[in-house]
Amino acid sequence: MAHLRLMSEKKSEPASGASHVNDLGHVKEATPSLIQVFEPHKASLPPVGAYMREFWSRKRFSLELARFADKAEYLESNLGKVWLVLNPLLLAFVYFLLVTVLRGGSDKAHGFTTLAHILIGLFTFYFAQNVISDGAQSITSGGRLILNQAFPRTLLPLSSAIRSFWQYIPTIPVYIVVVVIGKFFIPKADIHIFSWALLWIPYVTFCLALTAFGMALIFATMNVYFRDTSKLLSYTTRIWLYASPVLWLPEMLHGWHRAILYVNPLGPALSATAEIWIRGHQPTLAQIIGLAVWAVIAMIFGGYFFISRERDFAVRI
Amino acid sequence: MKKNRMLIDMPADLAVRIEDLSITYKINVDTKKTLKNAIMRASKGEKVRMRTVEAVKHMNLDIPHGSVLGIVGANGAGKSTLMRSIAGILPPTEGRITVNGKISTLLALGVGFNPALSGRDNIILGGLASGLTKEEIAAKTDEIARFADLPDGFIDMPVRTYSSGMYGRVAFAVAVAMTPDILLLDEALSAGDAAFKEKSFLRMRELVQEARTIVIVSHALQTVKDLCTHAIWMHKGQILAKGDAGEITEKYLEFLNVGTLPSNLEDF
Repeated sequence: MAHLRLMSEKKSEPASGASHVNDLGHVKEATPSLIQVFEPHKASLPPVGAYMREFWSRKRFSLELARFADKAEYLESNLGKVWLVLNPLLLAFVYFLLVTVLRGGSDKAHGFTTLAHILIGLFTFYFAQNVISDGAQSITSGGRLILNQAFPRTLLPLSSAIRSFWQYIPTIPVYIVVVVIGKFFIPKADIHIFSWALLWIPYVTFCLALTAFGMALIFATMNVYFRDTSKLLSYTTRIWLYASPVLWLPEMLHGWHRAILYVNPLGPALSATAEIWIRGHQPTLAQIIGLAVWAVIAMIFGGYFFISRERDFAVRI
Repeated sequence: MKKNRMLIDMPADLAVRIEDLSITYKINVDTKKTLKNAIMRASKGEKVRMRTVEAVKHMNLDIPHGSVLGIVGANGAGKSTLMRSIAGILPPTEGRITVNGKISTLLALGVGFNPALSGRDNIILGGLASGLTKEEIAAKTDEIARFADLPDGFIDMPVRTYSSGMYGRVAFAVAVAMTPDILLLDEALSAGDAAFKEKSFLRMRELVQEARTIVIVSHALQTVKDLCTHAIWMHKGQILAKGDAGEITEKYLEFLNVGTLPSNLEDF
């Protein structure tokens, strides 16, 4: 097919600052200098370098999207963000009752240590769960933005992850307050809350966030193709909780059963969290390696799975 | 995706160059697009039913700066797909699109609008999504509210309290406030009453005076006729005819009335 030119058949020189006369007789300077080229993706992937630069330059959008989503959710709730802390606190209390009743009761000190373990475990697990489940819905619920604007779609699950992190932060002081008060009344409780091991918390949290974000990318993509993925996810995360060292202690597993701690992507993070916040020990070498390995696997696999299917989002939403 | 213009053979007077563009994609034609359905099908040895859509086929087109191009055609002709491709939302399957300038789009009404948030918050969100900084968009918020004819105080009210007309007017006002080099509008001019339509037309003419480029997809042929300098008629993913907007809309109207393609275009 012949190349169509709409205004004129005259060939133009590829030089900047050119001018032409329009239908209204005005001489216009064609000054735009932003050249964008859209070509087919190679191996289903956009140019990775350009994609990452665009991702980085739009990070403010993710932050603001998280802030506005937060604002919208709690705008008309009287208790508002208090539920963020109340919900896991009440759940921890329910699970604590369940676990101590099933065990046939225990002494006060041991009971309080169990409560502290469940509390920090649940707070940490819910952080990962929120990153995954909110991220899974971020693409299908961002329909209009996706249909109207070109931007790296990974910014949407990133926004969910940022929001989940903000919601996680206040739960840490709550845990500290509960443990400090508990230790005051039950000094024999075997919890070493303040130790040098706390320096490992940023590493553990960072690796956990990457792992959960990578998984969010996988589920967000699946949710575009199969809209019941997010429903299924609510059951999956419940089973995931029971399979994680939250309601039980890692020491309860022996021999090959300990493999469960590392096969579970959240296992190393949850074990390390208990190690730091309960026993005051730094994470074991296996936990440190496990954290990094799962973060890398989740980011590589999740990133590829998501970005290689980003093009489809605009036609499947 | 940005490249150095020295490396690209792009005449400076062109806003958009489309070269041998083809866009295909697959869609799931199952009524139930669920994991459960996919697993049930897999258990019976069946695959999920997919259909390949050839939305745009080997298209070539140059759009100079300062032009207003109308795109007409029946549903499924590939108009919206082409617009998304020019905006970089849907990358080509084959060929290349080169765009010279900042793009602003209004391809889906109510862009970025969260009904629980105020108009001001939504405008900021929409602006950030299109690549502006928060400060840039905040400086334009009152101008957008004025242009959209929002009653006093409505800019700080939740968007769920807006009428559908207000909703559409704000979306349009955000798109034109971005001072784009290239403005892409898909059925966006149906929002608002006659007075707002007139205001929109004036604003678009101002943009054209500033050598900015506008591409409009519309089923409202009178709008295309009134506003566009040129038009293309798309049919089954190809350009069936191009030329003066009045001439093209007449041809297309004739096709709509008669139901058959003009004899010289029957090969399509």
